[in-house]
Amino acid sequence: MKPAAFDYHCPDELAGAITILQEYGDEAKVLAGGQSLIPLLSLRLSRFDHLVDLRAIEDLRGVSAVDGSIRIGAMTTQAHVARNENAAAVPLLARATSHIGHYQIRNRGTVGGSLAHADPAAEYPAVAMALDASLEVAGPNGTRRISAANFFMSTWATAMDPDEVLVAAHFPVWSGSTGWAVDEVARRVGDFAMCGAVCGIQLDGQRVNRAALALFGVGSVPVRARGVEATLTGATVDDLDLPAIGADVAATLDPPGDLHASGEQRRKMAKTLVPRVLTAAIDEAKHA
Amino acid sequence: MTAGRFMGQAIARSEDPRLLAGRGRYIADVVVPGASDAAFLRSEVARGRIVSLDVEAARSAPGVRAVYTAADLNPLVHETAVAGLPEGPFPPKYCLAENDVRFVGDPIAIVIAENRYLAEDAVELIDVDIEPQEPVLDVDAARNGDGALVHPEIGTNTPQVIPFFGDPDLEQAFADAAHVVKDTIVMHRYVQAPMECRGIIADCDPYSDELTVWSGTQSVYGVQSLIAGLLGIGTNQIRVVQPDVGGGFGQKMAIMRDEWAVVLAAKLLGRPVRWIEDRRENLTAAAHARDERIDLSIALDGDGGITAIQGEFIENIGAYQTMGSSGMGAFIAPFLTNAYKIPKVGFASQAVYTNTCGKAPYRGPFLMYAVGIEQLMDAAARQLGVDPLELRRRNVIRADDLPYTLPSMLCFESITPAETLDQAALMIDYDGFRADQRAALEQGRYLGVGISLCVEPSGIAVGSMATEAAEIRMDYTGKVTVAVGSSSTGMSVVTTMKQVVAEHLGCVPDDVNVIQGDTAATPWGAGTGGSRSAVLIGNAVAAASTELRSKLLEIAADALEAAAEDLEIDNSRVFVRGTATKGMSFADVGQLAYHSPDMLSPGTAPGLEASHRFKAPPFTFSNACHICTCEVDIETGRVSILRYVVSEDCGRMINPKVVEGQVFGGVVQGIGGVLYEHMVYDDDGNPLTSTFVDYLLPTAAEVPTIEVGHIESPAPNPLGVKGMGEGGAIASPAAVINAVADALAPLGVRISGSPLGPRQILDMIAAASGQRA
Amino acid sequence: MREVALTVTVNGEQISRPVEARRTLADFLRDDLSLTGTHLGCEHGVCGACTVLLDGDAVRSCLMFAVQADGAEVTTIEGLSEGGLTPIQAAFQAEHGLQCGYCTPGFVVSAHAFLAEHPDPSDEEIREALSGNLCRCTGYQGIIAAVKRAASNGSSL
Repeated sequence: MKPAAFDYHCPDELAGAITILQEYGDEAKVLAGGQSLIPLLSLRLSRFDHLVDLRAIEDLRGVSAVDGSIRIGAMTTQAHVARNENAAAVPLLARATSHIGHYQIRNRGTVGGSLAHADPAAEYPAVAMALDASLEVAGPNGTRRISAANFFMSTWATAMDPDEVLVAAHFPVWSGSTGWAVDEVARRVGDFAMCGAVCGIQLDGQRVNRAALALFGVGSVPVRARGVEATLTGATVDDLDLPAIGADVAATLDPPGDLHASGEQRRKMAKTLVPRVLTAAIDEAKHA
Repeated sequence: MTAGRFMGQAIARSEDPRLLAGRGRYIADVVVPGASDAAFLRSEVARGRIVSLDVEAARSAPGVRAVYTAADLNPLVHETAVAGLPEGPFPPKYCLAENDVRFVGDPIAIVIAENRYLAEDAVELIDVDIEPQEPVLDVDAARNGDGALVHPEIGTNTPQVIPFFGDPDLEQAFADAAHVVKDTIVMHRYVQAPMECRGIIADCDPYSDELTVWSGTQSVYGVQSLIAGLLGIGTNQIRVVQPDVGGGFGQKMAIMRDEWAVVLAAKLLGRPVRWIEDRRENLTAAAHARDERIDLSIALDGDGGITAIQGEFIENIGAYQTMGSSGMGAFIAPFLTNAYKIPKVGFASQAVYTNTCGKAPYRGPFLMYAVGIEQLMDAAARQLGVDPLELRRRNVIRADDLPYTLPSMLCFESITPAETLDQAALMIDYDGFRADQRAALEQGRYLGVGISLCVEPSGIAVGSMATEAAEIRMDYTGKVTVAVGSSSTGMSVVTTMKQVVAEHLGCVPDDVNVIQGDTAATPWGAGTGGSRSAVLIGNAVAAASTELRSKLLEIAADALEAAAEDLEIDNSRVFVRGTATKGMSFADVGQLAYHSPDMLSPGTAPGLEASHRFKAPPFTFSNACHICTCEVDIETGRVSILRYVVSEDCGRMINPKVVEGQVFGGVVQGIGGVLYEHMVYDDDGNPLTSTFVDYLLPTAAEVPTIEVGHIESPAPNPLGVKGMGEGGAIASPAAVINAVADALAPLGVRISGSPLGPRQILDMIAAASGQRA
Repeated sequence: MREVALTVTVNGEQISRPVEARRTLADFLRDDLSLTGTHLGCEHGVCGACTVLLDGDAVRSCLMFAVQADGAEVTTIEGLSEGGLTPIQAAFQAEHGLQCGYCTPGFVVSAHAFLAEHPDPSDEEIREALSGNLCRCTGYQGIIAAVKRAASNGSSL
């Protein structure tokens, strides 16, 4: 199970990477952590004549606080972001990370790689959607920002052009009494989620000031439950009928089915997960 | 049974240090100078006619040394049987697919190149045109003659049929029964999936008298025999060497068509050829397992005593099945009554070909004898309103019933299923669990307990598997070497045999070297499998050691001028009983035996060598009871195993930790098989679970702590041992299935086998509640 | 370029040589450097038999190209065992944490990395940490016991 041959490029500047992508188009692919790409290459399910390794580009690393958000360089590893002090200001990041595969994968897998790969069952895209993250993308025409809602187009498809590189992801920081939760239903520890949910709650006393809820594994892109967020916002915590909210969210979903669970079963899992994550986040916010 | 100085001791394994340090030498680590690497072109179609095959582009690809197809290799084939194995009609003797392909993965061409990377590149350049034909995938369609023949040359899709036979009063027994419980119990398709894939290196040097094959096999002599037939040469011209092997579980008992191609290619090429299987091949094109069902009925009297059992067993053996997989019916029939007193039996079976990957044996290949009845017991208990533990107690064979002759005329002389049932129930605190279960149900939580008993026909010694031999010698320095004919793929043959030698000879295990896995250096053996090692190899080693001991004493008696009966041995030293000083070391004896034979009395033979070929009865019955508790999350379909206990009786244990390790491994394969591992084909015969991403093995996070209790009953062999290699795998599936069924019974869910992934569980819950899934 | 210059330190020894870009780190270690203790169980990043330490972190060497390790320090099972069996390896032996041994180097390397960061793990943490390595022989019982034993002995290296 060996990969087909390719020309290897390891530019030390972003501009160099973009130039190569421009030149070779479909025949070139960016290599970040390789945890998703390399198995595909080894199984010869995909092949590219050119691989552009981003590991030497220092500009793609680093976690910093920028304008009320945490900016995560695309090549930051998942393991690093989970223990980074700056990134702790966005608790969903560390919590989502613990669900990703196993620590051996997280030592190599990158935040940018996961976002750009856009697997429907991945955790970071859902976190990005839930928090209205903004993706910083560079191409031949310069750098632009794409909101998470516009970034994830479909299974393994993003709004980036073939000659663009994801440079960083900006995750807004919430202040005040906040609580967060990530939960998923998977066959085994570390497996792709059959259904997952991420949420954030900001309380003002007993009142929900702000709510964010996104589901993954239930469609070709993460699903943001804006309708339910509207219901939650302004409500008194103890008045909430969480099971009903779970049912409401589930009713909006039309998930695909596979060997592991049918679409209807995924919908039912969502119905169970939503109250679980909301309960956990609310509890944390109450004690914050 | 009291432990001996070494027998019965949980000593550390001598295999471990080198394996821990990464110094194991598995087939992919063996370096044969000048060896090329092979890769295969395999069919991507389940059934079809090969219209054209053009390998010219591959032949001229970089680094390619040869490309062979059926036209090159198949005419070289003489025979493809393994001598001595009882079999139904073999599949046709095509090494590579000749005019048609019969399963996805069927090997069509072999590319031999400088390395695997280049070989795979060249495989992509082969131009093959296959005209797809409707594959035969459904077992019932296949056996009923709807559709094509998988192997037209065989003339039937059912190569092994056991027509119904049974007790003449069977029908009456069912008619008179107070209760009849029947169901069709299904076991889905799984894969053996040892951590190490298959591999072979063949060196057929035309200038050498001997061809050498390194094979990651469970049976070096099986490989030797097959290659002798394949090439039409004498077995004494073939040396088969087994390196360290990373697990076999039955998949490596016999080499398969792709491995034959490597040998033939090496012969044609005149240079060594190496093939290391990759995981996708291992999961889709090596061999599969289980995929069988049994229509089972039991008749019970008013007290819940089972009076009769009847079963029809249908198994899907795929295409080109491996030796030993042409029909498990013959092995299931005699044991259909499992651990219970059931006087009347009826049985029929069919093995059916389909256009899927062929079967090879997998740890307890006949396990349906236990898996079926154990599930039916629980179903019967529910039907009768009796606790499943109680129902088993009413029917289980007890000490008073021994010796117990089965309807199949086999006789259980020394088994303890009733005792293991009691011990396991105690270990799990059965009544305590039932109370917890009731309390949990009131809170809307679904807990369940599952029992599974099995009497295991271990130490399989049928036909050519009836014997194993050991050749032991003490050399001129007093050090001991023992050579055995069947060799370890993880089951600790080396350490356990060192313990046997040390116990019988009076030395320490570290003074013993065990030689295994080389036809040039060991006596003939049938291979490790069938839970044979302790019974067959153990007794052979014990007998040879005992014989060596008496030769040792004879020579020492001579030298010490004492009677042999007055001598004792301890710690590699022979001495006159009662004296500390009148003695000699093994080294002294060895010296005398080899270097100074003139000093021996006229009647005393020089040298210190002995051998023994041990013949065991066809089966040595061991037994176990497994009890498993679980919780089912009815929202997500997830099953969590809470506790798992095993009470096992394998007679005298050579090494308790080794026994437990075998049980642990088998249990987790059972848990994995039921809850996670599911080999799936789509409607066109394409395997959908072709990597570990989709074929899910359980990890440390999915298994509980497994608790093992031991009972030791006498065994009918000098060493007093029984086998336990497969017992863990045989009893576990039903324990898990029964636990899930018990948990979901309040919801009206009725379970009839496996798989039990979340999808299946949620489907069943929805169906039971009348909703559409 | 199909072939790339690689400089990598493996078990303390600096290696400089050209290597084909597509060659995985696992194959480079096994075939180019004859360090065959690192095993291939799946080549798609699930089984963990190929685990090595890269700058001290446990990684799956089948999911890296050798060239990606340029400038890094790689430690294989051979490197860990250079001075004799480590306390973790001794714990594996004491608890019968191996049978066929094929998955063992991957587990040992992973356990080293895990215990270095979590010297006092709970049972659940141990099980989760071990969930990235597959074993078919032991049912994980001896492996979990070995890691527990090594942790409670306070020796992670």
